[in-house]
Amino acid sequence: MTNKVAIIASNGGLFDAYKVFNIATAAAATDQEVSIFFTFEGLNFIHKEANGQLPMPDGKEHFAEGFKKANVPSIPELVTMAQEMGVKFIGCQMTMDVMGLEKEAFVDSIEVGGAVTFLEFAKDADVTLTF
Amino acid sequence: MNSDKVLDAKGLACPMPIVKTRKAMNDLQTGQVLEIHVTDKGAKADLAAWSRSGGHELVETAEENDILKFWIRKG
Repeated sequence: MTNKVAIIASNGGLFDAYKVFNIATAAAATDQEVSIFFTFEGLNFIHKEANGQLPMPDGKEHFAEGFKKANVPSIPELVTMAQEMGVKFIGCQMTMDVMGLEKEAFVDSIEVGGAVTFLEFAKDADVTLTF
Repeated sequence: MNSDKVLDAKGLACPMPIVKTRKAMNDLQTGQVLEIHVTDKGAKADLAAWSRSGGHELVETAEENDILKFWIRKG
């Protein structure tokens, strides 16, 4: 059994972000080596401006209060926490090109690569998740 | 039960109790006991699983007025 968790983040809503970062930080806290490949809307999670204002699904806006009450950390906080615990972020080059985004728009220390960069990490991961 | 360190993770939601537990555990030596207080009910199963997968021993649990307490011996 390897110690690797490979995650693909391809949707950009607030709920999606929590799914990705809760699993990622919990895995890192359990001594797993974690990599997340951010592609299409998932890139919003590591975009410096976008990740503080991710949208709730339509009609679910009332959950904002529940998030506050449950004392859930914000996405930017979870991003920092994940990086501190050694979670590796890979931004999808192709999506960045399509959306006209430069590496500077994203949080520090991300790696930019293509599908193969992720696949190489994921090929011997026991847990692979897509959100 | 005696502990070498107490972690107050009350009021925190998943995954914070686990993240904080891991941080606190890093400061302990093998054989020492970490006592954790949480209010997140999910932590009950999570801390048990976390202990198992990390080779630690969940020695004791208790529940007092909605506060869940755990004692984990570092493996």
